[in-house]
Amino acid sequence: MAKPPPITNRIRDLREEHDSMSQAALADAIGVTRQTVIAIEQGKYSPSLESAFRIARVFGLGVEDVFYWDARTGRR
Amino acid sequence: MLRDMSFLEKTAWTMSAVLIATGAFWAWEVAGNWTALGKAPPPSFKLAIVYVGFVVLGAIITQAALAIASPKEANASADERERRVLDKAGNWSGYVLGFGAAAGILHYYAQRDGDQLFQIVTASFIVSQIAEYLFQIVLLRRGV
Repeated sequence: MAKPPPITNRIRDLREEHDSMSQAALADAIGVTRQTVIAIEQGKYSPSLESAFRIARVFGLGVEDVFYWDARTGRR
Repeated sequence: MLRDMSFLEKTAWTMSAVLIATGAFWAWEVAGNWTALGKAPPPSFKLAIVYVGFVVLGAIITQAALAIASPKEANASADERERRVLDKAGNWSGYVLGFGAAAGILHYYAQRDGDQLFQIVTASFIVSQIAEYLFQIVLLRRGV
């Protein structure tokens, strides 16, 4: 298992809050595959800054309301 | 299981299977000729044509089947995570090819057998292509 990236997110919770938006719907909205949304949710992949903004905009939030720096895995 | 895979991962599984099968055919043919001749066989244009033909045919059949099964995914271009996976897998497989080619050259210095060098480098090409698809599978599943 690769070392998880130091960025966590609350995309899964936000999807639930938005009428149980599916992973496929979010993937279509931001232009990635459903598997990439799954990887982001599971913390296996840190999205590009552009995709992070796109995800945040889908939920009508700022990037820092969706993504967090994880002090346990982050080096600084 | 298949539903959870991206098109890229399905492609990587099928292409690695095609390349392993065709690579085994190539190795079987070369090993047979090696035993018959008692030394490394010289480059065979006929074997190269047959091998490449099998690879192309296998790729067309499997890719067509995958595209028919998931036409929307087949037409989509790789997303940002998949592009990183492709870049990293390609980079790593380059090391496999480089290691094989360097080993072949060192072997040539010791044996002075150009036919052995040719077969080792050809094997390295085949193994590095298989490795590239296997690296893609690992990176798609493990995270990139």
